[in-house]
Amino acid sequence: METLNFKTLTIASRVHEADALTILLTVVGCLIAIATFVSLLGLILIYVERKVAAHFQCRLGPMRVGPHGILQSIADGLKLLQKEDIVPFKADALLHVGAPFFAILATLLSLLIIPMSPVVNILDLNIGVLYLTGVGGFGVLGILVGGWSSNNKWSLIGAMRAGAQIISYEISATLALLVVVLFAGSLNLTKIIESQATGWWIWRAHGIGLVAFLLFFVSGTAEINRTPFDIPEGESELGGGFHTEYSGLRFGLFFLAEFINMFIMCALAATLFLGGWMPFHIGNWEAFNSAMNLIPPGLWFTFKTSFLVFVLMWFRWTFPRLRVDQLMTLEWKILLPIGFINLIVATLVSYFNFYFFP
Amino acid sequence: MKIPNIKIAPKIKRSFIFIEILKAISSLVKGMRVTLSYLVKPSTVVTQQYPENRETLKMHERYRAELVMPHDENGFHKCTGCKICHNFCPNLSIIVLQRKNATSKKIEIDKFLWRLDSCTFCNICVMVCPFDAITMTQNFETAAFDRRLYLYNLNQYAGPTASVLSKIEDPEERKKEMEPRGLFEGDYPLNGKAQPGAPVHSMDSYTHNSTLEDK
Repeated sequence: METLNFKTLTIASRVHEADALTILLTVVGCLIAIATFVSLLGLILIYVERKVAAHFQCRLGPMRVGPHGILQSIADGLKLLQKEDIVPFKADALLHVGAPFFAILATLLSLLIIPMSPVVNILDLNIGVLYLTGVGGFGVLGILVGGWSSNNKWSLIGAMRAGAQIISYEISATLALLVVVLFAGSLNLTKIIESQATGWWIWRAHGIGLVAFLLFFVSGTAEINRTPFDIPEGESELGGGFHTEYSGLRFGLFFLAEFINMFIMCALAATLFLGGWMPFHIGNWEAFNSAMNLIPPGLWFTFKTSFLVFVLMWFRWTFPRLRVDQLMTLEWKILLPIGFINLIVATLVSYFNFYFFP
Repeated sequence: MKIPNIKIAPKIKRSFIFIEILKAISSLVKGMRVTLSYLVKPSTVVTQQYPENRETLKMHERYRAELVMPHDENGFHKCTGCKICHNFCPNLSIIVLQRKNATSKKIEIDKFLWRLDSCTFCNICVMVCPFDAITMTQNFETAAFDRRLYLYNLNQYAGPTASVLSKIEDPEERKKEMEPRGLFEGDYPLNGKAQPGAPVHSMDSYTHNSTLEDK
């Protein structure tokens, strides 16, 4: 357990030498903060998704509840709360009830270490990237368990598809992550951000970073089951996929986990390749850099992440869904070789320190 | 065991894999450009905020909703009761009841019954009418709480057409020729049975196609 040395900074560091009550209060405060953040973010993302989707399809989207429908997500949430919570006959009741919590747990654990700005950073983990990869893999467990315990063939097929897809694409995503870990020389997310003080990794490494970014973005889209990789849900052929038998709040939890996963994926891509909260710096151009520093780091993080979220929505409402065999072909025959070649080239680049502004 | 001869779709000719990937990316970008153009141009939105924009709502030209029989400023219509629309209606939504004029003994319209609930708005009645007596309007707000209210009587009077009536000088004489008819006076039962006392135009006895074949 030596490697799991939780080095605490920021919020956690303030309670380093405090008494037990203060620690307890801080932990409770952090939990409430995360819960509020997750629910607010879910509401906002669902509203934005519906609006953006509508305008991509020449529609208006929600317009009735509140001005321009801004209260629509709250109304939908209240509706989900009131719905009957059905556990199907002959379903594995315990696992069926527990599966949404697995899904949301993976999401919350990932959210714990995303550095949103130099101060808004709950836990600064020295093995951040490794932790995220491990916890991210935990999310597939919720989907698999949920699909399997529903006692429904569509759910089972959806869950199996999700398992195959997420496990396959995790390889490519990790290969892309490793490129940045190589460049930065650290698994700590804050250190990775600080290593981009002279420029973001997406452009500083002669295209290697760009390829890694595209690779991570594509496989990350597949990992969070979004269109064009949403075959685990596949409305047209599977009814609803792994959440066919879920209703009410449990369905809501799956839904929330999916949307927060989208945020986490985009936040991670922004942190690793676009500098996270680091402003746009170019090498040693002091005047330019200090001009960029005028925008606070939290805003930089928000802009980058929301831009990537927008691109994900853009993908979703533009591209058609892939077939199962095409999905596997894309991963094993195209993305994986590219990822390996990219990693090898990145090793050489890293060894010779061949960056812009090293 | 002999494997049956299965036809396989011809293989698509592919070039070098990196060229294929670049082609795929360029086509994806092309698609994204199309959807972005929809997003940034508010003029492409086709949604109508219906109850709010009731005053300014403009339906498409080809939209058809309600059959009406226009009456001119004197209250005359052009329908002669010739039953062409009745015969051409594909699903018996139009039932024309004729009568003989008391003085001239000529055939004229008694009731022009139109069933909104079975009408498919195919516009055939309007197209076949040789006198342009009926037309389709765009008033779609026809909801009612009773299906019996979906049986309209389109003519406002039973009697001769506008061209005959306009030749009569005396307004009193004119009035005698025009027996008033209300919008919901066509008390035609909707369960398929014949109206009591009505001529042969019942749903059961009426053979639609035979009249066409006889001609």
